[in-house]
Amino acid sequence: MAFWNKDGNGAAVTEEQVLDALKKVQDPDLRKDIVSLQFIRNLKIDKGTVSFDLNLTTPACPVKDQMRDEAVALVRALPGVQNVEIKMTSEVRQAPQLDKSALKGVRNIVAVGSGKGGVGKSTIAVNIAASLAAAGARVGLLDGDIYGPTTPIMLGLDLPPKSVGNRMIPQEAAGLKFISMGLLVKSEQPLIWRGPMAHKALQQCLFDVDWGELDYLVVDLPPGTGDVHLTLAQAVPLTGAVIVSTPQDVGLRISMKTLRMFQQTRVPILGIVENMSYYICPHCNSRDHIFGQGGGSRAAEQLGIPFFGEVPLDLAIRTQSDIGMPIVLAQPASPSARVLREITEKVAAQISIRSYETPVLEVE
Amino acid sequence: MPRPTGGQGTTPTKIKKISPGELMILWADGHETHHLAPVLRGMCPCASCKDEMTGMRMILPIHIPDNLEFRKIEIVGQYALQFEWSDGHRTGIYSFEYLRELCACRECKHQD
Repeated sequence: MAFWNKDGNGAAVTEEQVLDALKKVQDPDLRKDIVSLQFIRNLKIDKGTVSFDLNLTTPACPVKDQMRDEAVALVRALPGVQNVEIKMTSEVRQAPQLDKSALKGVRNIVAVGSGKGGVGKSTIAVNIAASLAAAGARVGLLDGDIYGPTTPIMLGLDLPPKSVGNRMIPQEAAGLKFISMGLLVKSEQPLIWRGPMAHKALQQCLFDVDWGELDYLVVDLPPGTGDVHLTLAQAVPLTGAVIVSTPQDVGLRISMKTLRMFQQTRVPILGIVENMSYYICPHCNSRDHIFGQGGGSRAAEQLGIPFFGEVPLDLAIRTQSDIGMPIVLAQPASPSARVLREITEKVAAQISIRSYETPVLEVE
Repeated sequence: MPRPTGGQGTTPTKIKKISPGELMILWADGHETHHLAPVLRGMCPCASCKDEMTGMRMILPIHIPDNLEFRKIEIVGQYALQFEWSDGHRTGIYSFEYLRELCACRECKHQD
């Protein structure tokens, strides 16, 4: 007789009972229960021990711990269960339509844009990409800022990529695969390109690169709206775009133009990141809202899109960028790194929602 | 405030070439649009078919053969279609909004 069974009636819990209990756990982003979403894998019942994998749509899931705890509590409450072993895994969903192109190993392409220059768009892009990679995702970063590429500095890379045959091999740094359009040209030469050249260069960086298998390809766009933006929106189905802005009205108003361009080309706006939100005085730790307060969250509210968070003007973010080691990796416990990580998780959640909801469109 | 594009009426759920010269688009609002290649070709929005400044049509029905066919149909990003026609032309990008606007069915014509 099964003496280990609490109830003493010898009846071990069944798979149905476990799945029924787990149906009560909702993914707050996809608004469905984790059983219907097929997140439960490898369910095994061995006497009083229930084990399964909880397979989420992103390793950077903001509610990972909450869902795990809920699942464990519900299963443990079932009669006949002494032990619950849960393994957290993830599988990033493939955005529709991407699988047929040359980028077939790439699951999601996400653009990072801004209305004006100098808002820290590249800093945000690098740190989001590095955070996603640190969470365990396979990430590529395409620096599309042909006119003033700063991303290579932030990753400590300044040599052009090698190529094999007519394909470029991405460089690797900070756990990322990386290609910069700027590095295709000698560094001291100013870049004077007409539209068609920018168009061609971006296409090469997308299609003639061995990106391999990627969960996320982050594209750092030049400021404003121009050739690179349009080419990107036309060449690939983007999962969405993240807009970076400062709290200042001017910055925001120009970001609206970027926003409108994305809307016209039907690129979903994932949300707004506000950068340079406040300055923390290194001497007295007081907060100064140098560029005003609340601009980004107000704009997000007006437009009905998510607000991802406020990144401070922090000396450490700047110095880490300058020495080629993003702050989220170099000082992961610092307040700024924590903010950037939270933003990344919210971005990842939005990406999961988009690739889940967007229907597949094809010409029959 | 930018108005979001991509309402139900301009979001295709099915795009099908039902014959070499006819395209069917089913929209998310349930409406079905049939486009004939020669007609659609005549409405090409590209800069060489429609003057950028004056909006004047540079290509007229007499320039388009009745038996014109779709050689290739491609989805542009997620907002438009691009056609390659049997006359070799291929630069026009037709946004989903424009394709819905061009619906020639009786119901849509009556709304104008």
